[in-house]
Amino acid sequence: MYPSALHLVRYGFLNAVADFKATYTWRSWLFGWLGRMFAQVLFFTGLGRVLDQPGAVRYLALGNALMTCVVDTMAVVATTSGERRAGTLSLLVASPADPVWVFVGRSLHWPISGVATASAALFGLGPIFGITWSASQVPLVVLLTALTALGTYCVGLFLAVVVVNVPRLRNVVSNCAYLAMMAFCGVQVPVGFWPRGIQAVVQAVPLTHTLRALRAVSDNRPAADVFGPVVPALLTAGLWLIAAVVTFRWLVAVPARRAGTLDLSY
Amino acid sequence: MVSNAEQGPVRQEAPEYAPGGSAATDAIVVEDVGRVYVDRRSRPTREVTALSGVSLRVAPGEVHGLLGPNGAGKTTLCKILTTTLEPTTGSARVLGRDVTGQSRAVRRSIGLVFGGDRGLYGRLSARENLWFWGAMYGLRRSRLRARAEVLLERVGLADRADSRVDTFSRGMKQRLHLARGLVGDPRVLILDEPTVGMDPVAALDFRALIGELRREGRTVLLTTHDMAEAEAVCDRVSLIDRGRLIMTESTDAVGRLLSGYERVVADDVPAELARRVEALDGVVAVRHEAGRVEVETEQPSATSAVLSVLAGAGVHRVSTARPDLGEVYLHLVGRRGMAVT
Repeated sequence: MYPSALHLVRYGFLNAVADFKATYTWRSWLFGWLGRMFAQVLFFTGLGRVLDQPGAVRYLALGNALMTCVVDTMAVVATTSGERRAGTLSLLVASPADPVWVFVGRSLHWPISGVATASAALFGLGPIFGITWSASQVPLVVLLTALTALGTYCVGLFLAVVVVNVPRLRNVVSNCAYLAMMAFCGVQVPVGFWPRGIQAVVQAVPLTHTLRALRAVSDNRPAADVFGPVVPALLTAGLWLIAAVVTFRWLVAVPARRAGTLDLSY
Repeated sequence: MVSNAEQGPVRQEAPEYAPGGSAATDAIVVEDVGRVYVDRRSRPTREVTALSGVSLRVAPGEVHGLLGPNGAGKTTLCKILTTTLEPTTGSARVLGRDVTGQSRAVRRSIGLVFGGDRGLYGRLSARENLWFWGAMYGLRRSRLRARAEVLLERVGLADRADSRVDTFSRGMKQRLHLARGLVGDPRVLILDEPTVGMDPVAALDFRALIGELRREGRTVLLTTHDMAEAEAVCDRVSLIDRGRLIMTESTDAVGRLLSGYERVVADDVPAELARRVEALDGVVAVRHEAGRVEVETEQPSATSAVLSVLAGAGVHRVSTARPDLGEVYLHLVGRRGMAVT
């Protein structure tokens, strides 16, 4: 009997929980990680005050608060490439399982942490900058944060499988990816600020759409403005996941078997 | 692992095996396999032949040793049999399934164990590692948990089942590796230098475990540097060097091969006498250091001649011995500074 994808995700998550417990205590998460992310939000939002433009502070606070979940979630790249460093990648490839589903479960702690981080930033820091939420908005904000984490996770998984066999690139890739998202997806400046080519490319990034939806919620705009961007966010997330699966199966594992780049470790 | 009381000789009678028999019934069939790597780091890029024309058959239930120095091609062959590497030429089948065309089915029926610290999830406990790897082989719920408990008991880690693996000693990790390799209940086990880093007691336990695996009818391909290990647990051995299979024989046949060689060791031998011994017919090697001479001969008559010359020169501290498999191995592959124990 071959293991199902869900079964593999579930047991991959076993590793995610263990990794998270080994990485953080509640104190180090709260005062270390969350403190670092709050500092980032405060820094960029503080620049908005310097600009002295109406709406700049609100714009930057929302964008950078949601961005914290992207930063957290992109750690999937480093965690996935850890499979090779740990010597488990070749064992996964030599097992009947499809490793890509293990990867899906393996780093789920990051988007979960990301949702908590961004929610804390939106609800904790938002009021400092005049962003308040009604009770009816709270579930929507959390859902959009979760969708951002999920979509980013799929982007990160794609990048992770691309570099899984080249682990030295893991941090370069994840940092470049989230910095690019920070710059081009509407976090610091509107997407319309950039040339048309970049505007077109960022439509493939779930964050672009979820951020637009979050701003619509914050501005109390009609439901169509909120839920309209959710569709492309879900669609792009799904496409990135499919790209990750296909890329690993056909563009990473198969060539690696041919080229002999999967090491048995000692 | 098994109790110390069971650590005696574990070799059983070799399974019935007819070399060149039916490929359909052999557990492992390697036919004219070659593997060439392209070294892209060198300028200009060059091709490195890791395996060349290797053919090998391993019968069901056989423990087969694959012996060779570093870089001989042992791990390359293991990679091919475990589907993590495709051969450049030739074909290989495990339990009748082609490792390239039916790789998923092959993966279901094999277990892979390699030596060293890596290949385990250090942040998981031993039990969780076995749950994880069992899940990779499609085991579920009660069956998965029961299998993990049996294996933890079998490799002697039941008392540390809930400890994080990164707190384990190297020997404990290696035992867990073995349990991991068995978790899918594989019919064929590929053990690539599994005793690397094990202390002698753990290595003895490991040999006993191999004996148990044989009694269970599993097929084992064991790569090792350790000739004593190969002699203790293998039904047949293959010697491999520079990507080529030099010979495949039963350990008994290797024993007969050993009988052709003898070694004479003598003390207080002057250099001039050592040179006279070296000139005798049938003497293949002489090492002389600080008055001690070691003479290797390839026929009994040469041994007699060496003893006569030494006795005639008044040398009385003399002993003779049969070389072990390792020394024969060195005769066959040449002395190239290999780590042979």
